[in-house]
Amino acid sequence: MEEEKIWEVEEGEKRSVGVIHIVITALLIGIGAVVGAFGSFTLPLGFGVNFFWPAIAVQNVGSVWFGAWGVIAAALFPIISNGIAGTPVYVSLAYIPANAVQALLPALAFRLFKADPRLRKGRDYLIFLVAITLGNIFGALYSPLVVLRGFGLLTAESVPLFIWGWFGGNEVAGIIFGLILLKALSGVVMHSRAFVKKWFA
Amino acid sequence: MNKTLLGYVPEESPIYSVHPFVRVFFLFVVSLFPMIIVAPEWNAFLIVLVIILMRYSRINLATLKLYVPVAVSMGSLILFSYTVFAGNHPEFMELIRFLGIRIYYERIVEAIVVYFRVVPMIFITVYFLSSSRERDIIVAMRSIRLPFTITYLVAMALRSAGMVLEDFSIVRQAEKARGFDPAGKSIAYKLRQFVMYIIPLFALALRRADEFSNALVARSYSFTGLLRNPKRADYVLTHYHFRKRDFAIVAVLAFMLIALLVLRYGFGLLVLEGSLTEVLLRSILL
Repeated sequence: MEEEKIWEVEEGEKRSVGVIHIVITALLIGIGAVVGAFGSFTLPLGFGVNFFWPAIAVQNVGSVWFGAWGVIAAALFPIISNGIAGTPVYVSLAYIPANAVQALLPALAFRLFKADPRLRKGRDYLIFLVAITLGNIFGALYSPLVVLRGFGLLTAESVPLFIWGWFGGNEVAGIIFGLILLKALSGVVMHSRAFVKKWFA
Repeated sequence: MNKTLLGYVPEESPIYSVHPFVRVFFLFVVSLFPMIIVAPEWNAFLIVLVIILMRYSRINLATLKLYVPVAVSMGSLILFSYTVFAGNHPEFMELIRFLGIRIYYERIVEAIVVYFRVVPMIFITVYFLSSSRERDIIVAMRSIRLPFTITYLVAMALRSAGMVLEDFSIVRQAEKARGFDPAGKSIAYKLRQFVMYIIPLFALALRRADEFSNALVARSYSFTGLLRNPKRADYVLTHYHFRKRDFAIVAVLAFMLIALLVLRYGFGLLVLEGSLTEVLLRSILL
């Protein structure tokens, strides 16, 4: 199947980590920081939780295309975007596991199930949607329950509002922007040197 | 003027006589203070201190205006969380009941304590972002001998954030030149507009990644590992030296952190019980 060839290193092909991967990680952090700050200022719920956060697409799509480098970028750029939006630095640092998992699951799903980033079949759409949903569920549960309750910023009774706010804000934005980015740019990215077939190269 | 992450600061600002590492240390250590201090009046005092520091550093206080909506929305959210979502607690003192919502004295007090813990952290972050340049963060990281690859990654990330903002502005102007006017349009329309931005931004970033990596390889840069730190010339560090004053500031900040921990957990001070805030709230609300 053609999908399997996307993720398999072909005979004679040599792939290694290079400068391009550091550069793409840095650029992803830059894009995510700007897009994330935009989302945080537009429809904030509070403490880095937003009703609509377009930067989730940078997390989901960046990790599908660039593997672990996308996951690293996804974990780091919210520190910058949340800081610009006024979230305390320790709260931002505590969000790292949630952001990392939100990026890791789509990357893992695409590689494990050999889905096509160009979304050519219904199966590819389904894998993407399920992966980002599971990632957002983790993020939505971890962040209010562990981070915000841990810092004493919320009452137990208000946690559901933040759980739904995080989940809804990420899910809607992730579906809209993620699908469009994958359809529009996967073809170009897959032919670039930066595209990662395994996890680091 | 020096361009910082949030604005501009005069070159002669006293903040630039302090080593960048000390400023990063200040951010991480002083951000812990509101988490240790419970009494709101002491956290309010910390806010005043940070504002004085901003004036002393010649930071334009108009930057704080950007964060007034953030502070107001955060305060509203905390109050909302602690009143409307206060739950049913017969053990608490009920102040008023409105449309079935019980507002308790203890919840109002908790909300004020939480708010006065969060706001100083915001001020400290704004102070850091307003006074620090990209170079300062890089120097701070190199000072503690973080691996070069990580430092370079952060430097490029901060620089690329600036470039993405410029690209965003260029794309918007190009769309305006073609008659695209989102004024007065619905949210769905503006959402579609945002989609039209994000694709060119990504495409520009991909092209830039190729150009940057070719430029780096042409200059004999190679990937030596994320965590390895091979010996290399550190030109930027030759311009920054730790002075006795920098060591003194770090020592004072560390001492203050330890002192706060001892006062709070050893002597039970800096807490809400017996504080000025509690006395005031009792007299006003009860």
